[in-house]
Amino acid sequence: MSEWVGVALFIMAGLAFGVVGIGVSFLVHPRSKNRYKLETYECGIPVEGSAWGRFKAQYFTFALIFVIFDVEVIYLYPWAVSFVQLGLAGLVKMFIFIFILVLGLWYAWKEGALEWK
Amino acid sequence: MTFPILTTTLLAPILAALIIVFLPKENDKLCKSVAAVGTGIALALSLYVYFGYDQSVGGLQWVDFGQPVPWIKDLGVTWYMAVDGLSLPMLLLTNLIGFTAVFASWNVTHRAKELMILLLVLIAGVMGTFIAQDLFIFLLFYEIVVIPIYIMVVIWGSSKRVTKEYAGMKLTIYLLMGSAFLLAGVIALFVNSVNITGIADMSFEGLAQVAFPEQLQIYLFALLLIGFGSLLSMWPFHSWSPDGYAGAPTAVSMIHAGILKKIGGYGLIRLAIVVLPLGARFWAPYMAVLGVIGVAYAAMGALAQKDLKYVVGYSSVSHMGYVLLGLASLGIIGINGAVAAMFAHGVMAALFFSMIGFIYERTHTRWIPDMGGLAHYTPKLAVGFMMAGMASLGLPGLITFIPEFTIFVETFKVFGLLAVIGIAGIIITALYVLRAAANTLFGPARPEFSHIKDLKGPEMVPLIVLGTVLVVGGILPSLLFDMIDSGVAPLLAHINDVLQIGGR
Amino acid sequence: MNIDFSLITTEIALAILGLAIFTLGLIIPRSARKGLGNIALLGLIIVLGIAVYSWPNQGETLGGMYIVDHFSSFFKIVGLVAAILVVFGFRRYVAANVGNYLEYYSTIVFATLGMIVMISAGDFITLYLGLELMTISFIVLVAFRSFDVKSLEAGIKYLLLAGMSSAVLLYGLSLVYGATGTILFAEVAQSIIDGSGGLLLIIGLVMLIAGLGFKVSAAPFHMWSPDVYEGAPTSVTAFLATGSKAASFAILIRVFVGSLTGIQEHWVMLVAVLAALSMLIGNLIAIPQTNIKRMLAYSSVAQAGYIMVGIVAASQSGVKGVMFYSFIYVFATMGAFTVVAAVYNKIKSDEIADYAGLAQRAPLAATVLLVCMLSMAGIPLLAGFVGKFYLFMAIVDGYMWLVLLGLIMSMVSVYYYLRVVLVMFRDDPVDPTPLKMETSVTITLLIALGVTVFLGIYPGPLSEIANTAAQSFFTP
Repeated sequence: MSEWVGVALFIMAGLAFGVVGIGVSFLVHPRSKNRYKLETYECGIPVEGSAWGRFKAQYFTFALIFVIFDVEVIYLYPWAVSFVQLGLAGLVKMFIFIFILVLGLWYAWKEGALEWK
Repeated sequence: MTFPILTTTLLAPILAALIIVFLPKENDKLCKSVAAVGTGIALALSLYVYFGYDQSVGGLQWVDFGQPVPWIKDLGVTWYMAVDGLSLPMLLLTNLIGFTAVFASWNVTHRAKELMILLLVLIAGVMGTFIAQDLFIFLLFYEIVVIPIYIMVVIWGSSKRVTKEYAGMKLTIYLLMGSAFLLAGVIALFVNSVNITGIADMSFEGLAQVAFPEQLQIYLFALLLIGFGSLLSMWPFHSWSPDGYAGAPTAVSMIHAGILKKIGGYGLIRLAIVVLPLGARFWAPYMAVLGVIGVAYAAMGALAQKDLKYVVGYSSVSHMGYVLLGLASLGIIGINGAVAAMFAHGVMAALFFSMIGFIYERTHTRWIPDMGGLAHYTPKLAVGFMMAGMASLGLPGLITFIPEFTIFVETFKVFGLLAVIGIAGIIITALYVLRAAANTLFGPARPEFSHIKDLKGPEMVPLIVLGTVLVVGGILPSLLFDMIDSGVAPLLAHINDVLQIGGR
Repeated sequence: MNIDFSLITTEIALAILGLAIFTLGLIIPRSARKGLGNIALLGLIIVLGIAVYSWPNQGETLGGMYIVDHFSSFFKIVGLVAAILVVFGFRRYVAANVGNYLEYYSTIVFATLGMIVMISAGDFITLYLGLELMTISFIVLVAFRSFDVKSLEAGIKYLLLAGMSSAVLLYGLSLVYGATGTILFAEVAQSIIDGSGGLLLIIGLVMLIAGLGFKVSAAPFHMWSPDVYEGAPTSVTAFLATGSKAASFAILIRVFVGSLTGIQEHWVMLVAVLAALSMLIGNLIAIPQTNIKRMLAYSSVAQAGYIMVGIVAASQSGVKGVMFYSFIYVFATMGAFTVVAAVYNKIKSDEIADYAGLAQRAPLAATVLLVCMLSMAGIPLLAGFVGKFYLFMAIVDGYMWLVLLGLIMSMVSVYYYLRVVLVMFRDDPVDPTPLKMETSVTITLLIALGVTVFLGIYPGPLSEIANTAAQSFFTP
């Protein structure tokens, strides 16, 4: 059972991290009520139009391309950690992996997805 | 290795069809001539085989390639083309009618090329069922004929009481539904034979040797009886027959009534009765009852019709009732009679339909009250019509008399009263045939028909060929009966062996 | 973990082909991209050559996650043949109605890769991987005509329902894993023999049937197929109906007959009922259809029902029947859809009524459509008859009701097929000018016709190969 004690401690610490933070801020934060408080972005740009408004479709293309490279990193880290054990075969495989990803970027570039029109 | 004469006979029409595919559409006389040559060759070959068959030896002869050629190994299917006394009359009948059907559609000009192609495929398909001694190959040919018939009915058929689309679909669906039962029965039969003997063998001979348990036989026989029965237009699966014939073009009516129905009777003997004798014994009384109902019901039906094709359509249902009755007797004389009756009815019905086709082409009506006195203008046509009619009512001296007589001899012995009812059907037959003939051909000459011409040229072929067979078969019945007997006797001997062991 | 590369050469070659098409398409100018079709065709033929050549190779790799035996090789060849016919027979159709050659051809290749991976799967993860690669590629392909509302609707429908079915399948897989403690098919089978089971496994099993039943469009999971088949580009419809279905049947057999045999009593009846339902619903709803693609969609539901019969048998002869039927089904379906696409190219319509007089305008196309449909209906002298004979032979002992239902329903199917025949053959064309077919279409049609007729008359060789393959499935 002893190995579970660590887990329990971890969970409790995690919970405490959130609870304590919210609790302390509740205790100490200044209380003032005005209409800016009720806005979506309190200190950002004023909201315009309805939430159902249309966006330029290119935002999504950008987001998708971003996700591809974002997710790539998930694979790169474990590979980097065990780089020595995986050896040359691992290097080759990672190059294939990167190549396929780059192919995607190349495609997006060529099809004009990176140009803001 | 002998010359595959039966396969050649089978391929002759197919080859002709292939040639026609490449002929120009406009030259329909040429297409018809090629079709006539193709079927003519098949007819000549089948005559050669018929008269070259050694009746004193009996059994399967003219085996193509000398022995069965392995075809599908895991199913035990072989290319086994051979004939015996049961197949030969049917083969001959097919080619007689096939040959004359080409001439009966000589006047068709609308898309004649396609008509000839389909007709030839149809003839080849029917022929295949009669010469295949392997169940699987038999099935291949059995169902393939349905599709050309459908296409032919919807293109060249006529819509009178029912539309041709309705007629064609009814014909097709009835036959296919029947074949679904047949196929289920055959699959079960085959699987059980493998389970019993351990070897896959699809030949009729091989299957006949398998000792199926009695319960199984009874159950399988019922499936096969529905399958073949619906093709034979057994009551109550007969209603496609009059409607279908009425909608169909002449050639299809001829082939359908003349030969296709006979596949049902042929299959009942070759497969159902020979392979499942115990099942046959169980179902025979029911078959007889259905046969007699068919005879009486359809004869009454024919009496009420005013359309010539409906009269012949119902009459063919009624005649098939006799065939069923003969088969149900399970005796050598009865079955001989049934087979001979199939042959005789085939010739007679084909002649009848071809004559009706010619009448329809000339008068544009088949409605009996609208006609009369045709014999004044078309004596040859009238002769053909009368010959078919007389054959239909079983006039002695024509081919139909002896088969019917023998059927009654045997069935009277076996079923007694049922046979009497069946015989009574003949009286009704005489009534409707004579009435139809009288109202169509005789009576005062009508001026509106004065322009119509008698048969001439190629149109004479059906009358001459089929008429000759009707008379020769009537005068020399031994030509037909000896042949059939040499085929049926060994099969019957086998059945009796099984029935004896099965204990009666 | 050692990888035996000799066992996965086909997959590697196919992956390289897909990437090569993609790379090449980026290098060459846009106007030259049309030639990618030829490259895809050539590449697929080479891959097919590799697949045929590696037929003798058998074994397992990746620690049992990947199984290569005659059974999987057979279905791989079926999938590749379907892909080749799709690429070859629909070239004109793609040029006229789809465009985007780069994306189209590479996605077709990747969908094929997904099928092949799925066919060879030895565990649930590989199964899911292949399945998703195939499904996602198909989602893209279905929605390919982005200017066509119907195609987009089909894409959305397929996306949502395929996602749903994948979720169900995945949940089923996890339940089976939970009940047996392993994801490898072989170990699942062993674990069931050793006595694991219970309600959890049964629920998992039902979910597996639902998930895979969706892929093969078996009733009652068939709702998507008419809309998707109608909306998708015809080439994609053809591929969806043949390749995707054959691969899904392969995996269905692998999972049920191969690995869940131990609890047969729980699923055989279920599959039998699904088969019966598919035959009934598919054939009966096909009758009133007026759009030929929808009609073929319903008929393909019915076909799924017939093929499932072989799974009900759960025996060597049943598996053999499925293999035989899948093979001929590919050719019959391809032939039919090639005609549909070729005719659409000329007359811009998929309505059956517009096929009037086709027999006079394009005799070959009309004949091929007739032959292919009749083969699906199981009319003799055509391959479908032999296929049905094998399938129903496997279950005639014990499931006679299913045999009778199947045969009667195939005769019902003749009814709606003949309605098309009626229109094509009886009616005179509105516009009697002959339709000239391109050479590639003609060749595809002749191949479909030839194979369907040849295997109907002489099925011996294929049935022996299928038998060998089925044997390897049971005694590896």
